[in-house]
Amino acid sequence: MSDFATMKQATAPRDGALLWKSIERRLFSPGILILPLAIFLLFFFFIPAIRLMTFSVMTQNAQGVIGAPFTLAHYIRFFEVDLYQKVLWSTIRISLITSFLAAILAYPVATVLVRGNIALTRIITLIVIAPLAVSVVVRAYGWQLILGNGPTGLLNYVLMNLGIIESPLAILFSDSAVVIGSLHIFFPMMVLPLSSALGKIDPNIQQAARTLGAPAWKVFVRVTLPLSLPGLLAGFTLVFSLASASYVIPALIGGPGSQMLGNMVEQQVLAVYDWPFGATIATILVLIVILINAISMKLLGGRRIKANAS
Amino acid sequence: MNNKLTGTSAAILYAVTAAMMIFILAPIVLIIATSFSDSYFVTFPPEGFTFRWYGEVLQNEEFTSGLTFSIGLAVATTVLSVAMGVPAAIALTRGRFVGRSLLKGLALSPLIFPVLVTGLALLQLFSGYGWMDTKLKLLIAHTVVTSPYVIRTVLTSLQLVNPNLEEAARTLGATRWKTFTRVIFPQIAPGVASGSIFCFMVSFDNYPVSMWLADSANLPVPIVLYRQIGTVFDPSVATMSTIIIALAIAVVLVLDKLVGLRKAMAM
Repeated sequence: MSDFATMKQATAPRDGALLWKSIERRLFSPGILILPLAIFLLFFFFIPAIRLMTFSVMTQNAQGVIGAPFTLAHYIRFFEVDLYQKVLWSTIRISLITSFLAAILAYPVATVLVRGNIALTRIITLIVIAPLAVSVVVRAYGWQLILGNGPTGLLNYVLMNLGIIESPLAILFSDSAVVIGSLHIFFPMMVLPLSSALGKIDPNIQQAARTLGAPAWKVFVRVTLPLSLPGLLAGFTLVFSLASASYVIPALIGGPGSQMLGNMVEQQVLAVYDWPFGATIATILVLIVILINAISMKLLGGRRIKANAS
Repeated sequence: MNNKLTGTSAAILYAVTAAMMIFILAPIVLIIATSFSDSYFVTFPPEGFTFRWYGEVLQNEEFTSGLTFSIGLAVATTVLSVAMGVPAAIALTRGRFVGRSLLKGLALSPLIFPVLVTGLALLQLFSGYGWMDTKLKLLIAHTVVTSPYVIRTVLTSLQLVNPNLEEAARTLGATRWKTFTRVIFPQIAPGVASGSIFCFMVSFDNYPVSMWLADSANLPVPIVLYRQIGTVFDPSVATMSTIIIALAIAVVLVLDKLVGLRKAMAM
């Protein structure tokens, strides 16, 4: 590989320089370069995460010590008690609705982003991306102000002044508020992969479909949608994964009925001090996220193989 | 651009896009407007105009120390993430070893792992480390969450770098270190820059990790704000939020200037 370098070393045999060169070679080899991060993640991510999950099959004694005997009692409790079932389903429901809404609304935005003129594209990019840098706590507060249940919430104020509603709506502290808030937080995660997928489609294909007489909706269903599927799937997976692990949004703008798994974990650990059950809910949350990512990877992988075969 | 949007379908596309832009901006604009409201309770429409709340908020010790704490934490987190992430990303693209793609997946896995659970797992780990300073715990926890952002952006920019240039430098006698500083780094600098900025933002905004590990002497600003939302009902909360928004916008503009938003987000 570097014969020339070796030759040079051989012709100028200065021991110090040679030694340094060999140390330097080893120091900057891939195995060493990755070592700090590997050790860091092993001790501060993988081991603690796995250890936490093992708590879900252990018992906590009266002194708060967690250990044997091993048991599935926490999982049985989770799947038998109505309250926990309700929280599980509201987590899945809210995340699914958010992901679907994000997908439907992101198509128009991503299309304009890819095919609109340059000035417009710049503004849209800025508006979509800039809020990503604003803390979820701040944005949840903003939605509190908008959805406020009295007549002084922005939405109620506007709707009442327009004469659309007679008395104020009660959206804040409901499932709808959580969906609205989650959509606001995670919308960019759908637009970005979708617009990059749409950008890769050869415009001539859509042009050809239209020239051959397909109406706009048919071009979308038969050409644009299938070709942008990888982006859609990536966005959907990302939004679902992030939304299902929400904590701040349900805590600040959700009601007692719209608390999600994350809120339940916090409650079990910090209020009830039941570590094994908290770990059980956390493990279920992790499994949901892993499952959706595995499904999406399988779908994408299958597609790629099919594309290669044809 | 011979594929211009025209006709009724274009009208629908533009209408939905405009509506979504309003949806995205509404809460942020409303917060900013409310921060100048001259009333004792938050109401819509905001009443009058005053800078009073800014004076009050900047006197608020809890908020200002939360702000400086968060900025310090975010800077430290970014430095640590870059220091470990850039070499790791180079190893993951240039090294030839078995299990490389598995390792890549593992290095990026904190990205999809529920952040709240990462924080909880570390709370459990650290519960045995009573000697450890809260600042150090927060730094470690934030770095776990932010390091994949650096790795991802640097991996993407490394894929665009022609390995032959490095090969040439090495052949001409450059050491690995010199190859890095003179050949690799200048080419991946935009990736490192946007990775750093993502790290800073993610750490600065983080709530679900800090909520487990923060204590009353070490409160990041999102925790301070969260507590204020539940207890204070005057516009000062909107003012604190506006200051945080201003900082976020400044960071985004820096990213746009340095790398370009589209390019940064594609990484």
